[in-house]
Amino acid sequence: MFSKMTRLLWIGIVLVTLLALAACAPAPTPAPTAAPPTAAPKPAATTAPVATAAPQATTAPAPTAAPKAAEPKKLLLGFTASQTGAQQVASKKQIEGLQLWLDDVKKAGGIKLKDGTTYLPEIKFYDDESKTDRVQTLYTKLINEDKADFLLSPYSSTLVKAAAVVSEQNDKVMITAGAADDATMEQGFKKTFQLYTPASRYLTGAADALKKFVPTAKKVAIIYEKDSFSTSVANALQPYAKSIGFEVVLFEGYDTGTTDFAPFINKITAANPDAILGGGHFADGTTFSKQLFEKKVPIQFVAILVAPPEPTFKDIGDAALGIIGPSQWEPQVTFSAESAKAANLPYYGPSNKAFTDAYLAKYKESPSYHSAGGYAQGLVLQKAIEDADSVDPAKIVAALDKMNLMTFYGVIKFSTDAKTHGKQQAHGMVYMQWQKDSAGKLVTQIVWPLEAKSADAVLRK
Amino acid sequence: MKTLSSPFIWIILVVVGGASLLPILTNSVSLREDMFLMLMLVILASSINIIMGYTGYVSFGHIVFFGLGGYLAFFLMKEFQVQFMLAALVGGAGASLIAFFIGIPVLRLRGAYFALATIGINEAFRSFFTNFDLFGGAVGMFFNFSVYDAYGGAKNAGQLAYYAMVVLALVTIGTSFVIKKSKFGLGLMAIREDQDASMVLGIDPARLKVLTYTISAFFPAVAGALFFFKNGLIEPGPAFELHRSIEALVMVMLGGYGTVTGPIVGAVVYERLRGFLITDPTLSNAHLVIAGVLLLLIVLFVTAGVIGWVRQRVPALRRYLE
Repeated sequence: MFSKMTRLLWIGIVLVTLLALAACAPAPTPAPTAAPPTAAPKPAATTAPVATAAPQATTAPAPTAAPKAAEPKKLLLGFTASQTGAQQVASKKQIEGLQLWLDDVKKAGGIKLKDGTTYLPEIKFYDDESKTDRVQTLYTKLINEDKADFLLSPYSSTLVKAAAVVSEQNDKVMITAGAADDATMEQGFKKTFQLYTPASRYLTGAADALKKFVPTAKKVAIIYEKDSFSTSVANALQPYAKSIGFEVVLFEGYDTGTTDFAPFINKITAANPDAILGGGHFADGTTFSKQLFEKKVPIQFVAILVAPPEPTFKDIGDAALGIIGPSQWEPQVTFSAESAKAANLPYYGPSNKAFTDAYLAKYKESPSYHSAGGYAQGLVLQKAIEDADSVDPAKIVAALDKMNLMTFYGVIKFSTDAKTHGKQQAHGMVYMQWQKDSAGKLVTQIVWPLEAKSADAVLRK
Repeated sequence: MKTLSSPFIWIILVVVGGASLLPILTNSVSLREDMFLMLMLVILASSINIIMGYTGYVSFGHIVFFGLGGYLAFFLMKEFQVQFMLAALVGGAGASLIAFFIGIPVLRLRGAYFALATIGINEAFRSFFTNFDLFGGAVGMFFNFSVYDAYGGAKNAGQLAYYAMVVLALVTIGTSFVIKKSKFGLGLMAIREDQDASMVLGIDPARLKVLTYTISAFFPAVAGALFFFKNGLIEPGPAFELHRSIEALVMVMLGGYGTVTGPIVGAVVYERLRGFLITDPTLSNAHLVIAGVLLLLIVLFVTAGVIGWVRQRVPALRRYLE
């Protein structure tokens, strides 16, 4: 029989296992899975301007009373979402954006083809726990059991990489948001299309902004999360910063899940840089910014990935002040039918204001770029269906290949090169900063590029 | 050879092999994916059972070999276009060799010290692969999809990886059984019960433990190679995920440690339960809590695991149910 010591060891194992399971226990999250989204809370006429049915005369027959209107056909869009685990904050925003698009399409009577056929999109999603092995199993289920017509992506580059492999193996069209990693889109995919500006362009604009805002700046510190996405960003940033005359005095990665940045802050202080660039995802970016503030690190320019554009970033109070974040989209962006006309591009979908107002009315908080990405996923698919006048995947791929337009989210154009097929070509980043308004409230302003700025940049301290 | 005349092992192999045929017979890709994951977990749990259940050494960080095999094989496939099965076997052999050299010092430790050391080894390798650019660093490595053309396309490659996983699962189960019924296995169980007493009986614990550790590293390593080949990408996080090791331990305890069937039953029950909870609209929010409560109940009331409990309750089955 087992000795007493062995029994004690077994008890220890059980306790550790339980602790591990408990540590992974999900936080309260919204409706878990599947099925159509919850009905919008009908905020009176405030959502009226949202109608996404394309503004151009070229699209879709008028949704007026059609006496012999055929029964709309169901169009199932499948994806996984991180309702638990590390990516749950941004993933939740992405779903909210998508659900708003779904509401708008329903209000517009569905997606209409020229022959009068109407498609009513529905979504089905599962919790991927922010884990890659779950993602692959669940996408296979979505494709083969749930018979999803089209796929949308989970949030984060790592999860999208895993999902895209399954999607490509099964010849499914997938529109990705929440994935900026360059490598994902250099795998020779044929039916995967990326909405986000690739990671290699995430912080290069911040280096340009630094040169403009702090002309005396010479030294930069790059501190980044050691995961696929953030490392791609940092690896692209380092040579770029050097090429425009900065000295990279610190290039250091931290592990995913890091909560104590004291050793890095000590190194930063010792290196005495003029700017800090880097970060990773929401949790670590928020903690890093907070600890920089608490330790009174006197750096004038701090640009952090992912976390600053999230509205909840302001929960860290004054620690958020002055922090700059690269963003795929901000409520203040100026993409409009007029700017599209000036750029000689067609404009599609709701105006920026209509999207922002509708989102605010439905969710009682401002949308982040993750929300906008979620909405844009649906919008781009809708446009592709309308352009293809079909839901045939080959025709949709052809329509997406040809796509070159402006939406509230920005310009969308995909690479058609065999090596980088589907990679985002035209969409650009904006850089937002947390500032205080006249009432002393924390608000976000676009500070870069200058032609898109909504306010001048404010240096920290 | 006498060991293999036991009907038990053939029944188990036929049941597992038969179940593995289901996705092919029903032509269900979804079922095939489920089975792929399940067989992978059976391999992980059975491998841990060899070192934990038979020898009494709790290897918390056993997932390190899954990652090592995955990385070595992926590197060979990507950089040298080595055929995936050959790469997987080389990955397995490489991981075993590393286990051999790690095992010599680490297996001198006992109890909680050994368990902690295995966690440290896993973290060390994760950190190594995160920082070593030859293996892609934190970004990891990925295939261009054209790699799968050599296997008849990505879809066919997934099918081939499945067949390979089925064979590997059967070999793992067979090996687990042969070890248990052999003199070698008897030596391991003697070490598990009382290492000092086993030395008095003429057993060389150091040699046996290192050999066991080496064998138990091979199967997860090959499974890792197959898993990441099918995935088309490998990154340090998913490759050395400690959580997966803990889950495999839970499966062994759930099914019954020290038995051949236990890890199989544990892996199947755990994965089915988790799969159900995670996709159920009402239960998915609480799936980890439910899994935790179930584990607690099992540990409190069915301490020997499902198979152990059956063997205790039905003595007549003890001869047949290993």
